Amino acid sequence: MEYTGHGGKPLVERVITDKAEAKKRIQGLKQVPASRQMATEAIGLAYGFFSPLEGFMKKADVESTCKKMELTDGTIWGIPIVYDISDKEIADYGIKEGDTVCLTYDGNPLAIFEIEEIFSYNKEEFAQDVYGTKEEKHPGVKRTFNYKDKFLGGKITLVNEPKVREPFTPYFLTPRQHREKFKEKNWIKIVAHQTRNVPHSGHEWLMKHAYIAAHGDSPVEQMETMGKAISGILVNCIVGEKRVGDYIDEAIVLTQDELRKAGYFREDIHMVSMTFWDMRYAGPREAVHHAIIRTNLGLTHHMFGRDHAGVGTYYHSYQAHHLLMSIPKEKLNITPIYVLEWAYCPHCGEVTCIGLCGHWNELQKFSGTKIRSIIMDGVKPTRLIFRPEVFDVVMETAEKYGFGSPFVTEEYLAKAKPAFTIEPL
Amino acid sequence: MAETYPINIWINEERYKELQAAGLDHLLKEELAGMKVLVVPCTAEQRDKILKLFPMAKYDEATTKSIELLPKHVKDKIYQLCVARKRVDVIDEFLKSVEKG
Repeated sequence: MEYTGHGGKPLVERVITDKAEAKKRIQGLKQVPASRQMATEAIGLAYGFFSPLEGFMKKADVESTCKKMELTDGTIWGIPIVYDISDKEIADYGIKEGDTVCLTYDGNPLAIFEIEEIFSYNKEEFAQDVYGTKEEKHPGVKRTFNYKDKFLGGKITLVNEPKVREPFTPYFLTPRQHREKFKEKNWIKIVAHQTRNVPHSGHEWLMKHAYIAAHGDSPVEQMETMGKAISGILVNCIVGEKRVGDYIDEAIVLTQDELRKAGYFREDIHMVSMTFWDMRYAGPREAVHHAIIRTNLGLTHHMFGRDHAGVGTYYHSYQAHHLLMSIPKEKLNITPIYVLEWAYCPHCGEVTCIGLCGHWNELQKFSGTKIRSIIMDGVKPTRLIFRPEVFDVVMETAEKYGFGSPFVTEEYLAKAKPAFTIEPL
Repeated sequence: MAETYPINIWINEERYKELQAAGLDHLLKEELAGMKVLVVPCTAEQRDKILKLFPMAKYDEATTKSIELLPKHVKDKIYQLCVARKRVDVIDEFLKSVEKG
């Protein structure tokens, strides 16, 4: 069955699943090793996460995305997806425009890359356009400046699907697989909660708010009965490059799932999956990018909170909302749901939305940093702000996967097994 | 009053009893549904020295406006100094002890 993705175009799926066919197609091709980021994005392109892109961008699309936030054909696009390569690698591998090569990863064939263009792009302009800054302390800018000398543009076809390790195995779904799951569940309205975090109850209430908003004016009977829900929440965890101090991915995915397992979300309205993507911290532009990915996963709504995909103080709290609001409805096939923070009110004695509570001066705001600080100090948070079952999973994953910490440490960066590998074909 | 850059030390039941015994429990702030925190103030100069000595730490300008990501053993040492000295302005002494090695 053909599905429609972002831009109203058919969902891209460029994957050869038959191993014999794959081996035949790569026979005789030059083998070019891909970096982790390039391999991850090749996989994303091939499965359609970045539909309608069929491969790494050529210069015209990079420029159009940077300058106008759209592809050359007018499809809205937030962040260029580029393959970087050094001049030395181009010379060593004898790469020319028109070549078809086999990208490898872990020493094994990964994807066919039909190289249509080799080009340069001004990295400072790229950074300023996408991130709104050229300051190298912005992690996205640093990533841009670290790109090598040139870029290759052209189509990608996956010949060897990634092997995703435990505990991530059940959570990695392709766009097609997401849509098939939603069909199984009879979900018609599905709202994305994008996360790189272990959930505190502020997050939980944001999700509940978004669920009710997405369900909208559909009959309440369709929420009432277990197994009859037509609306759902997809918690889509971003798994990618980590920084010291981030939560480890295992803690993020398993604690998000624990919210449903422990009954804080009903079984038939909540689901967790993961998507491979290195966060760019591009704030508003990345909010657009996330909206595109989730459109391709088949979602109808996407929740956006304060400072979505932001870092430091580069973006205003609701700058992402304003950018999304500026996009004509017909150009974005997913409905944003803008959510305000939830905070603890000692007067109300409960977690409440800051837009509803009248006890402004008394509100105690959640902060991921604060919660992290509490956990790092070895203190169990109160159950009103952090579900005890979630806390238990945090501690378990710390021992099992985090070398004693639920947060990324230098040891974790050095020793943790990658989330996926590419096996011999 | 000069701006301060706090280090937040979160307090469990055991530490609460220690702080009560040290007469410091009145300094505790309550946050987030009854969590107790001991706020240890730093000057800008002390903040900068701490961030230089412990490069994994950062000053969170965006949300909490506090010094975060200090290793646990560092915060434990600062906490123990507070209890021993029965006050929270202990950062100068802490810094001297670290610089001495």
